[in-house]
Formats: sequence, C-alpha cells, structure tokens
Amino acid sequence: MSTDTETRLLARPLNWLETRSEATFAYILLAPAFALLALIAFYPLVDTFRFSLLADQTAAADPFGGFAGLDNYAALLSGEALLPQQFLDPSFATPLLQQALFVTLAFAVISVLFETALGFGQALILDQDFYGRRWVRVAIIIPYAIPIVIQAMIFYLMFNPTIGFGTEFMQWLGVFGENPLANTTDSFIIVLVGDIWKTSAFMALLILAGLQSVDRQLFDVAKVSGASPWQRFKYITLPLVAPALLVAMLFRTMDAMRIYGLIDATAGCQTVPSMSCLVITALQETRRWATGSAVAFLTAVVIGLVVVVYLFGLRDQGAGMT
Amino acid sequence: MSDVDADAGAEHPDVAAQAAATVDEPELDRGIVEGWAARMISNPERAYRAAFYVATVFFLVTTLFPFYWLFMVAITPRGSLRDVGVFTPGGVNLAAFIEIFQRIPFHRYMFNSFLIATVATVTVLIVASLAGYVFGRLRFRGRNLLLLGVLVTSFFPPAAFFIPLNRLFNANVDVLRPILSAGSLYNTPFAIFIPLSAIYLPLSIFILMTFYSQIPDGLEDAARVEGTTRIGALFRVIVPLSAPGVATAGVLTFITVYNEYFFSSLMTNGRPGNWAPMLEGILRYQGQFEVLFNLMAAASIVAVLPVAILVVVAQEKIVSGLTAGGLKE
Repeated sequence: MSTDTETRLLARPLNWLETRSEATFAYILLAPAFALLALIAFYPLVDTFRFSLLADQTAAADPFGGFAGLDNYAALLSGEALLPQQFLDPSFATPLLQQALFVTLAFAVISVLFETALGFGQALILDQDFYGRRWVRVAIIIPYAIPIVIQAMIFYLMFNPTIGFGTEFMQWLGVFGENPLANTTDSFIIVLVGDIWKTSAFMALLILAGLQSVDRQLFDVAKVSGASPWQRFKYITLPLVAPALLVAMLFRTMDAMRIYGLIDATAGCQTVPSMSCLVITALQETRRWATGSAVAFLTAVVIGLVVVVYLFGLRDQGAGMT
Repeated sequence: MSDVDADAGAEHPDVAAQAAATVDEPELDRGIVEGWAARMISNPERAYRAAFYVATVFFLVTTLFPFYWLFMVAITPRGSLRDVGVFTPGGVNLAAFIEIFQRIPFHRYMFNSFLIATVATVTVLIVASLAGYVFGRLRFRGRNLLLLGVLVTSFFPPAAFFIPLNRLFNANVDVLRPILSAGSLYNTPFAIFIPLSAIYLPLSIFILMTFYSQIPDGLEDAARVEGTTRIGALFRVIVPLSAPGVATAGVLTFITVYNEYFFSSLMTNGRPGNWAPMLEGILRYQGQFEVLFNLMAAASIVAVLPVAILVVVAQEKIVSGLTAGGLKE
C-alpha cells in the first residue's frame, strides 16, 4: 500500500511532464543546469561589476562603501590604484613584469607560441604508426592530467637554490640571478617553463584530432608527384590543420590568461602579479574588495577582447580557405 | 631450400638499382659521421626516420624526467637534500612516504579531495545529462541562444566570479545552522564542489550532447511505445547506449576537479577537518621554521598516483573528450 502511494507520488510529476509540449519539457530539463550557472556564473558576474562601481572601505566591517562610479577603473588604468602591484601603469615607471596586464599578456603569448610549436611536434609523432604508440601517448598526456599544485611543486623544487639543479644550470647560462624564486623576471621564466611542460600535451591532442581528419589519399598523391616529407607538411598538412590549430590556440590563450595556481604555489603572487593574482592580492593583502572587483571585471574584458581578435582571425582564415 | 636461395637471388629491380647506385659512388675514405651524413643525403627517408626517433625520445624525456627527479628528491633523507643530483638521489630513505601521513593527516586531505571530486562528478553528470539530452535531441525556440549562454560561461575567468561567491559563502544563513556548524558554506565541501560543478558543466554538456544526438530516434520511440516516460527513456535507453560518452565526461570532470587550484585553495582555511583538499596538504609541509622538501615531493607522488592510473586506464576517453570539447563550436 505504502509503496503504491510512493510510486504514485513519483509518477505524478512524471505524468505531468509527459503532457507538456516539447518546448516546455526542454526548458524544465534545462532548469537545473541554468540554476547552477546562474548561481555560480551569471549572478556573480553582475555582482562583480556592481561591486567594482563602489568605493573601498578598508577599515569598516562592510568592505564596500558608497557609489564611486568608474573611479576604480580610472585608478587601475592610470597606475594609481592603492595595490601592492599595478594593473597598468601608462607612465611605465613600474617595470613591465610588475604590471598585471603585461605579465598576463606576455605569459599568454609566449606560452601559447611555445606550446603550439611543441604540441605540433608531439602531434606529428602521435600521428605515426609505430610500436609502443599507446605508451608514448600516455607519457605525453600525463603532464596535462596532473594537479596544478604538483606541477608547481616540481618546478618549485627544481629551481630551489639549495636542492634543485635548475638554478645552477640557468646561472651557468647566465640567465638567472641569486634567488630566482624571488626575482620577477626569473620567476616569470620558471612559471613559463612549468606551464609549457604541462599544457603542450593539450595542444598536441587538439592538433592530433585535426591531423587525423586529413584525407590520407592527399599524401599518396603528393608522394607519387615526388613531394618531399617537408613539402607534404608545408603544402598539405599545415593548411588543412590551420582551422583546428587556431581554435586550439584560442582555447589555450583564454586558459593561459587565467593563470593563478602555478604562480601562487611557486613564486607567489607578489613576484609575478598576473591579473587573477592581483584580484586575490587586493582582497587578502589590502582588503580593497571594490578595486579587486574592478580588476576581476577588467580581466574578463581583456580576455573578451582577445577572443574577439581571434574570432576575426578565424573568420578571415575561413574566408581565405573557401 | 633451393627455393629460398632462388628468391634471395632475384632481388627487386629497385633494390638492385640502388645497390648499383651506391657502388657507382666514388670510393672515399669517410669517417663514421661523414658516412652517416652521406647516407642521409642519398636517402632522405632515413634522415626523416632518424629525426622522428630523436624527437620521440626528446619528448619522452622532457615529459617524464620531472617525475623521476621528484622521486629522487622524495627518497633523499632530509639531511642530505643538498646532494640531490640531476639523476641521482642524495641517499635512500623510503620512510618519507610514511612520514607524510604522520606529520599531518595527509590521508584526510586526500579523502577530502576524493570526496569533492566524486560529488562534483556525479552532480555534473546528472545535470549535464539532462541538458545534453535537450540540446542534442530536442528542437525548441531559443535553443541556440541558450547554448550560447552555456558557452559564454566557460570563457570567463574564475576570478570574475570569486568575490561575490566568497561573500555569499561567508554569509551566515540561519537556515543552514542545524546542518553546518558555522552556519555558512565556507569551510565545507559545498563551497568547493558547487562552483567547480558549474564551471566544468559546459564541457560535459558538449561531450554528452554530441553522444546523445547520435542515438537513432527509433530506439527512443520504441522505449516510449513500450510505455516509459520521456525521462525514463533518457535514463533507460539513451544514457546506457552512450556509456562511452558518459565515461568520458565523468573521467574528465573528476580529473579537472581533483586538479583544480583556484577555488580549492580559497574556499577553505586549509585545515583538514574543514574539508581542505589535497593541495593544502602538500603546501602545508612548507612550515614556519623549516620546509620539508622531501615530504613535499613524497606527498606529490602519492597525490599524483590516482590521476596517473586514471590516465593509463582511460587515455582513450581523455583524448576523445578533450578533442570533442575543444573542437566543438
């Protein structure tokens, strides 16, 4: 009896759902996903923007003061924000790598270029048929799957002056100074190397997917016509993979511009202030929540601008291809 | 016997021609390297093969060497950490792998990470299954707009969500007081897995959408004729038939949540009892007075094992999932 009422209780909403139109049914099934996204993404995004228009209150219980308009943005973009590091200093009195905008952009550009080149190499290898290919593929993917904190630990230990060999080697090359993890330029290079080590595999996988969709017969034709492997690469592989390559680079660039964990666990946010780092510094070191919100919103805006530039590039590429 | 001899004797004309070509070359007194270079020039395929092997070995060494070196640091006794070489440890002391659990409750940190990753994976799979079904199989007004809404969230940096969420999770909600001691979500697993579920939801929606859209309509119709509801058809027919896709989405979500740093490091105060994940454990060996480098390395190795095993077991799923998620649009 009781199980009967239970099934009926469960059946009632299902039956009700059954009689709805397809569109209503679709909206109801999407409700949980959008509720989650609204709570974690849409509402916080709007709130971040609202906070960024308020004034800082470092001493009061509530960290936000009255309405301040675009003052926070003006301070950030003119290099007058009251933060340990600047977002952008147009007078360039602050070194470039102490300005969050330039650190992040430089990091994104350099790391994505290296990752694309290395990833392409890895993809070309994985595209071949050879004995033990499965294990080579595992080895190449593993860095991509390891936790950020462990990636950071490896490079933190490697470039630690007492135990790691990295510092000694780089000093021998004449690149690094005494204590690289406290020096902005040196730490920037360490973070760069760590990121390239981990994420080349991601590029490799995306490029590999592009490579495997290339029609093999094209290569046979080229071979018969006497094209060397280099010519086959240049005239067949590269143009056909280019769209996949650009999409992969777009994803990586967006991701690289969010860099936080690797920096926080190796050199620290004071040494290499990326944009996400600056948000946390503003919150934790100076308790300037409104300025932090403005930095967070500017981060999203900068990433958005980069995406738009890429999309224009992709469109031109598409127009040129057809 | 004689047949084999006859076969060996009758060389392919090309091979014969090649042999003739090599013989025709003037006899020079070449060293090993020079001879090798000459063969490369006369037969470029050889050069490309050599380059292929060199590149393979290079990539294998660069990706695997850091793990090897981490292990060397882990097995070095604390006193001789200065002696760690590039390839050799400064001594052998496997006790570090036990000491990591004695110094701090590292097993508790690992458990917290596992719990958060598992709960997030289950949440994502259920919510993304419903959404993936809708986007993959139903036609309705506003589909593209809603799909764009999902896509857009994956482009914003987590930092853009952090400040309001931090305030929200620190707010004292009286309704929660009976279940959560402090009355706020800060220092609970909810504060980590809810944001991470939302942030990694879009990737799973894309993967599942692709898989669900490939199931023939006839199978779903047959289930409906048999008397199951639409939701029943989804969970009894479509999800089981798309098992590889569900596994892909699950493995990727688990790995990314386990690996995540931003929210994981900011949403708890780092105490094991307050559901701090594994990363806080590893950073905790960096004490106030001394840094226990060998324990950091040993703990890192222990914490990397689960994902390493997952990669070996499920590499095909990871590859297909990343490429599906990355190349969609």
